[in-house]
Amino acid sequence: MYIIIGDTGVGKSCLLLQFTDKRFQPVHDLTIGVEFGARMVNIDGKQIKLQIWDTAGQESFRSITRSYYRGAAGALLVYDITRRETFNHLTSWLEDARQHSSSNMVIMLIGNKSDLESRRDVKREEGEAFAREHGLIFMETSAKTACNVEEAFINTAKEIYRKIQQGLFDVHNEANGIKIGPQQCISTSVGPSASQRSSSEIGSNSGCC
Amino acid sequence: MFGRSRSWVGGGHGKSSRNIHSLDHLKYLYHVLTKNTTVTEQNRNLLVETIRSITEILIWGDQNDSSVFDFFLEKNMFVFFLNILRQKSGRYVCVQLLQTLNILFENISHETSLYYLLSNNYVNSIIVHKFDFSDEEIMAYYISFLKTLSLKLNNHTVHFFYNEHTNDFALYTEAIKFFNHPESMVRIAVRTITLNVYKVSLDNQAMLHYIRDKTAVPYFSNLVWFIGSHVIELDNCVQTDEEHRNRGKLSDLVAEHLDHLHYLNDILIINCEFLNDVLTDHLLNRLFVPLYVYSLENQDKGGERPKISLPVSLYLLSQVFLIIHHAPLVNSLAEVILNGDLSEMYAKSEQDVQRSCAKPSIRCFIKPTETLERSLEMNKHKGKRRVQKRPNYKNVGEEEDEEKGPAEDAQEDAEKAKGTEGGSKGTKTSGDSEEIEMVIMERSKLPELAASTSVQEQNTTDEEKSAATGLESVQWSRPFLDMVYHALDSPDDDYHALFVLCLLYAMSHNKGMDPEKLEQIQLPVPSAADKTTYNHLLAERLIRIMNNAAQPDGKIRLATLELSCLLLKQQVVASAGCIMKDVHLACLEGAREESVHLVRHFYKGEEIFLDMFEDEYRSMTMKPMNVEYLMMDASILLPPTGTPLTGIDFVKRLPCGDVEKTRRAIRVFFMLRSLSLQLRGEPETQLPLTREEDLIKTDDVLDLNNSDLIACTVITKDGGMVQRFLAVDIYQMSLVEPDVSRLGWGVVKFAGLLQDMQVTGVEDDSRALNITIHKPASSPHSKPFPILQATFVFSDHIRCIIAKQRLAKGRIQARRMKMQRIAALLDLPIQPTTDVLGFRLGSSSSQHLPFRFYDQCRRGSSDPTVQRSVFASVDKVPGFAVAQCINQHSSPSLSSPPPSASGSPSGSGSTSHCDSGGASLSSTPSAIQSPADDPVATEQPQPKLPSQLVIVSETEADARPGKSLARSTDVETANLSPSLIPARQPTISLLCEDTADTLSVESLTLVPPVDSHSLRTLPGIPPPPVTPAAGTVTPGEEPAGPAEH
Repeated sequence: MYIIIGDTGVGKSCLLLQFTDKRFQPVHDLTIGVEFGARMVNIDGKQIKLQIWDTAGQESFRSITRSYYRGAAGALLVYDITRRETFNHLTSWLEDARQHSSSNMVIMLIGNKSDLESRRDVKREEGEAFAREHGLIFMETSAKTACNVEEAFINTAKEIYRKIQQGLFDVHNEANGIKIGPQQCISTSVGPSASQRSSSEIGSNSGCC
Repeated sequence: MFGRSRSWVGGGHGKSSRNIHSLDHLKYLYHVLTKNTTVTEQNRNLLVETIRSITEILIWGDQNDSSVFDFFLEKNMFVFFLNILRQKSGRYVCVQLLQTLNILFENISHETSLYYLLSNNYVNSIIVHKFDFSDEEIMAYYISFLKTLSLKLNNHTVHFFYNEHTNDFALYTEAIKFFNHPESMVRIAVRTITLNVYKVSLDNQAMLHYIRDKTAVPYFSNLVWFIGSHVIELDNCVQTDEEHRNRGKLSDLVAEHLDHLHYLNDILIINCEFLNDVLTDHLLNRLFVPLYVYSLENQDKGGERPKISLPVSLYLLSQVFLIIHHAPLVNSLAEVILNGDLSEMYAKSEQDVQRSCAKPSIRCFIKPTETLERSLEMNKHKGKRRVQKRPNYKNVGEEEDEEKGPAEDAQEDAEKAKGTEGGSKGTKTSGDSEEIEMVIMERSKLPELAASTSVQEQNTTDEEKSAATGLESVQWSRPFLDMVYHALDSPDDDYHALFVLCLLYAMSHNKGMDPEKLEQIQLPVPSAADKTTYNHLLAERLIRIMNNAAQPDGKIRLATLELSCLLLKQQVVASAGCIMKDVHLACLEGAREESVHLVRHFYKGEEIFLDMFEDEYRSMTMKPMNVEYLMMDASILLPPTGTPLTGIDFVKRLPCGDVEKTRRAIRVFFMLRSLSLQLRGEPETQLPLTREEDLIKTDDVLDLNNSDLIACTVITKDGGMVQRFLAVDIYQMSLVEPDVSRLGWGVVKFAGLLQDMQVTGVEDDSRALNITIHKPASSPHSKPFPILQATFVFSDHIRCIIAKQRLAKGRIQARRMKMQRIAALLDLPIQPTTDVLGFRLGSSSSQHLPFRFYDQCRRGSSDPTVQRSVFASVDKVPGFAVAQCINQHSSPSLSSPPPSASGSPSGSGSTSHCDSGGASLSSTPSAIQSPADDPVATEQPQPKLPSQLVIVSETEADARPGKSLARSTDVETANLSPSLIPARQPTISLLCEDTADTLSVESLTLVPPVDSHSLRTLPGIPPPPVTPAAGTVTPGEEPAGPAEH
């Protein structure tokens, strides 16, 4: 499972909708977002189901953000390239994420709204430098033009997948504490499903269901 | 029209967006819906796309054209959705509908649009629709839908969801049925929904009553049971662990427990009194007291009741106190822990054992007799029946409610609940347990008295033995507290001790805690300023832990030690200073001494030691102990281990191997040193070894007249090329460019620490050097980051060699100096092996251009006793703004350096021999100069004990450069601590030509001719500031040196 974090208005929910439902064509006079989405992707020939949750609107409850972080295998940390303050807040987001999440969580830094080049307030290099310093993957996207959106999610998924194969996510953890829903055919799912859930219900399940 | 649209529906994107987003198109889609009221295999895709498009149009309409909503409402289009849903149309359509609704409700921004959508109760029909929840995706979309709705709840919209007349609140009741869903994301969503509901209920009395009377008891009792079951599983996990194999599972369970506590706390801080009473009651009497607290006591007692092991219970209680700050809850809980009378509770619980199944109101941890879902069902029907029976009840109740205070209300409701025949079992329970709680409160007054007397007893005793007897005497009345103290005593390891300390810390830092409660055990809250006594019993145990930690094979983990230090400080540091008894202070000093011995054992000349030393200091100061984070870590629940293979954080385990033992020793030293200084009210003056503010920074402007500057071209990795001058200071190298406004001055463009620098030659270019400077990693996640990575090209190979030599030696020198300061911190004499090095250093040091002077007074010279000037880095440059050393210990005579050397050790008390070495050395150069000194100098107090340095202050220097220059020659050069000052320009004064004569050193150094011209340094760093060692070194270097010794 993924979560998307970042200041309000940076386009998190739009990114999410753009990725999970292609049928919503981005139109100039309409912004649509969504808080939850699921989609199957294919990585190395394996069908993996990504579940993505947007944490927006729930920041006032500490228990909720905490739980979200913990349950995620990957996080997209989003800022708006046209608003410097959203970039400045990254540090505190990151701190939160590191504090509450499993140490293996893959964090991807996303500079969104790359279509608004003329209003750019944060240089691409700054995003790169921040990502380098904190060990994140970096990408600039545009939820509006769909540029790089696919790549952002899939690269994160690949990185998680890689970590699973390296054994960084405890595949056997599933046996304890976390119950699997009836439809999840964990027995048949190789690698991804079981292990991702292991690091606490993270939901890129292989697509057996 | 039909045909065109059809092609669009079929997947074509040919249609322009303008047409898609219009009322006309919505009308068309309506038409499609009317034609396809039955879902079939054939029209499934069409319907899904239609529903999706409707969403899009509605959102567009919300943002652009309200007539869209009018049409939607007029045609009752929601009915179609519902209709499709009820046809069991399968997963595909279901998911699409739910997603549509999600998107719809999330993106609607106008309140009126929202009201349109919510009117007619269709949404509630969808909420109660029996979806196939076994399907993971449907479940996820469904719960997200509920969550989205709950985020839209406010005073107005709530009426669309909560129906007062039928007592229906589907959004809430349907959601909480999933409170224990296996999928964590579902549980999180449920919690979000409930929190949102509770928040809104504050302003809605009727709804609040409904929630409390109809749902609170079933929900909270089930929730509490759910939490408790996890706790028992957690305990099981700890008990059955072998070789730390259960850690993964354990950490999940711990995180789960934390999630619950945070959730409970979030409910409590919404501060809805009604709910809080019920919740507090359940938590206390069904979970915290019966399961956690009772388990503190002797594990054999208590018969069959469920219990957990001591460490787990301490650990979990710490978490409770760290997270939950709701005053009634924490105070009652603390009351039981501190004063609880177990025997009586046992008696009670045994009496009730038989009844407990039927009447779960006593303090015990038992399973609710029916499932939440069933309870909710029952309540709902009951509610309906009651409404039928007493049609006026609702209205009457409402009116009354507004006038009445919550307390009255609660009582009345409890009575009402009892009075109602066949009334809900749940409400009855809540009423009963309220009474019980009151009984307990009264009962606890007695032990409270006993406790306070026993505390007085303890006060009068200093000796540990008598204190221990004091403890025994109170044992009968405070079994839990007794257990807590006993756990601190375990001699073999600190497994239990860590938890106990955490618990005490958590209780004393809890904001909701009544300070008086804590005073019973003389554990002051951190903010308490006017302390006069402290808990000797506890202090002694803490000091014992510290002492233990300083032993070579001590089994105390660093986290335990740090926590002990925190708790001790909290106890004895009052606003007026430390109130600790001398006897305890002495014990503590003893522990500190031990820690010094411990590090000394590991002190080696190896390069790595310095890096470790500084790194440990850095990580210790940058990441001070956060007890809450500590208690989030499940790994401490398993018995302490030594191996890093477990992945357990270093501070939470014992060291493994020499390197880690060294690190541990260093940390212990830091902690005890800092504690000791703080308790004695002295500031830290020696650590860190390099302070950021003392360093040269970019854009500083330096006087570089007569400095060694080497012109070079700096080519950075990305191809940038700049002309710079390279200057080497004692700790830093810097790249400067000329200051346009002042001749001979330079603006620093880059400055980096020599000690972190790597210099290598360039293979095919004898004029070039590769230079890299890494910045030490600031957090465990960031990699060491090169702040400089460049090729330096010099004008010829000679300059290149000079530069290389200077940098390389500077690096060694910088490190050496720091090592010497560490040695001084450890009261270590310098090993004779440094002689050779020392010589070399001496010479290399003279190469350094000290365009900075070192300022000792900035390191807390205000306190004479602290000023342990470590060793003299006497960069005595005549005309250089100079520190003058005043011995506040009243050492009058100046001009005889030798006595000063011998005198300092005795005078310095806890300061080191090294200090004396430093002192004597520092006086050495001054002696060289003394001929030139003017009489004033002789009146200057002599730096016999370098206890205080007074720098000719920067401002002073600013004001009268000439004077400072004059004085600099006469004033004692004393011990210039190697802390660098970001000096203002005037302090960097010029070299005095005439004093050059006094410097006999240069002829002996290996400095190239260039240097000896411009350099005025005395043997800058006196070969290691060791009296004996220096004696052997100096002859080669400073003719004057031996003469003095």
